[in-house]
Amino acid sequence: MRETGPVARARTADKERITIVSDNATRGAEQGRQPDARFTMANERTFLAWSRTSLALVVGGLAIAQLLPPFAGVPWGRSAIATPLILLGAVLPVLSYLEWRTNQKSIERGARLGSSRLPGILAVTITVVALLAAAVDIYSRVRSR
Amino acid sequence: MSGDRGAAAPGPADEPGDDDPAANDPGADDRGAGDPGADDPGLARERTDLAWTRSSIAFFGLGVAILKFRPAAGIPILAIAAVTWLLGRAARPGSQRIASRRVLLVTVAVSALALVSLVLTLAGPSSNGLRP
Repeated sequence: MRETGPVARARTADKERITIVSDNATRGAEQGRQPDARFTMANERTFLAWSRTSLALVVGGLAIAQLLPPFAGVPWGRSAIATPLILLGAVLPVLSYLEWRTNQKSIERGARLGSSRLPGILAVTITVVALLAAAVDIYSRVRSR
Repeated sequence: MSGDRGAAAPGPADEPGDDDPAANDPGADDRGAGDPGADDPGLARERTDLAWTRSSIAFFGLGVAILKFRPAAGIPILAIAAVTWLLGRAARPGSQRIASRRVLLVTVAVSALALVSLVLTLAGPSSNGLRP
């Protein structure tokens, strides 16, 4: 099962480490146990980072809705900007949890990790919200002039 | 925590504090970098613990900020912050079930918080904001 010992020693230090890491992952899959704990931890850290991103989105949305003075002439302005942010803050944890679970299973099987769709969703939403905020602000200024 | 797993699951998940990992793990001598303990150059365990601490602080900051405006809503968030901190400290991702559960718990907490905020934003009273 573990034939890498002498082979790996003959290689450079970096290559040796990669070989050992991937070998550990395979071994864990064969035993039906956890693979290299570092993969599991990295997966968990990624999930936590998405959770914090979600919290930041919720905080930002709440701040816009509660702390920002209303836009003159645009009573729905603050809600329109805040709602997509908070909505994304509600959806992101679920999506990142599903992704965490998928990745966890892939790691256990020693399979490839799929690419994440979350950065795209986040980037599109933030861009749209930013453009919307600019539009609401300009509209409010033009109307109240 | 390390004792029960040391014999059952010899491998990369071994605690660094184990008495002699080589005794029950034939691959220990040539593994080296596979152990996420003291020899790990990436400090995976520390980084994970710190990520949990950071997440807890994020909850804590939000809780304190909300406490100022709505004390009734702030206290449960502070409780979530405390639970998150404990989860990060207590449960190491050694057990699959514990790891899965604590991740799910964070998911539910953040999503619930977001949904409450959403309802507040859409149906709650309109504030005048912080005017100087």
